[in-house]
Amino acid sequence: MEFPEVETDSTVYKTAYGLRVGADISKPILAIFNGNYTGIELVADYRIGKKIYLATEIGFEEKTSIEDYSNSTSKGSYIRIGFNYNAYDNWLDMNNEIFTGVRYGLALFDQTLNSYTPNVNSLYFPSVPINASITAPDLTAHWTEFLVGIKVETLRNLFVSTSISYKIAFAVDDQENFKTLFAPGLGRVYESGTGFGFNYTISYLIPFTKK
Amino acid sequence: MAIFNRCEKDDFCTKDPVTPKLVLRFYDANEPGQLKRTERLSIWAAGKDTIPAYRSVSLDSIAIPLNTTTLETVYHLKINDFDGSIANNQIATLTIQYTPEEEFVSRSCGFRVLFNDVRFSTDTSWIQDFTPATLSTIDNQNTAHVQIFH
Repeated sequence: MEFPEVETDSTVYKTAYGLRVGADISKPILAIFNGNYTGIELVADYRIGKKIYLATEIGFEEKTSIEDYSNSTSKGSYIRIGFNYNAYDNWLDMNNEIFTGVRYGLALFDQTLNSYTPNVNSLYFPSVPINASITAPDLTAHWTEFLVGIKVETLRNLFVSTSISYKIAFAVDDQENFKTLFAPGLGRVYESGTGFGFNYTISYLIPFTKK
Repeated sequence: MAIFNRCEKDDFCTKDPVTPKLVLRFYDANEPGQLKRTERLSIWAAGKDTIPAYRSVSLDSIAIPLNTTTLETVYHLKINDFDGSIANNQIATLTIQYTPEEEFVSRSCGFRVLFNDVRFSTDTSWIQDFTPATLSTIDNQNTAHVQIFH
């Protein structure tokens, strides 16, 4: 069988395949308003099928957690790797997405217990704040994320994307006689080991081919 | 970045007390096993004011804080079995020596203090006897730490 005229079939709309790179702009904005936080995140995805993208994020975060009885700082790098699935059927040659995704996350960080006040709940013998400055280096955290989001092509090859993620930590190192209160990429570490994340990115598609 | 601040159980410290107090129970010296109230009991640590909750009270059980920043706490316990006049006050001194240890509990509760290698001693006053003389650790206040006979 031969279909020599298939190239002239004008009802087939092609969309671009390639590497899309960008950055999460919510983190620098958050850092402006929160003096206890700095963070950057670079994002990339690569289309490997009509609806499937290989996706990754790498970043750096530093956050000081100020609690009633402790003050600690976590800082370090993280990487998330996984897939996005585009559930949206585009019209014509549009290239927007409503996607779901899954990630594996890994953070390498250190945490410093800056100071603490023993919780003696006694006004009769009040406790005094203790400047500890105890640093635990080379801590790791592992987690998975499930995310949903949208991507819109605003200008040709320029995408704006937002997503929320549900995170489930399955291994987080703690420093001795303390606990990891924040892990880069994972965020605040809850007692339950779960949490939510938010992402707002601008990215640019470097098209390699059209299919 | 977790920006959704949720009210999880680690937001509020619900563990109370975090740092244990020293629990004393008072027994009848003539009838061990029988609780005996102290009359007009007042308690103060050396160099400090009377603990507001223990100012001339009649109780068979008390919980008093230990100083977590030192290695010993000296308490004075005044009773008056007669009429409340100063001349009839009997004042005993209870000295508690220990090694404090800080232990992390949780994000919201922070660190609590345990007391290890605890040793008790009294002078000779209205306290005729007490037990035990030592405790390896005080890490809760579910039961009395020291039985005092008078």
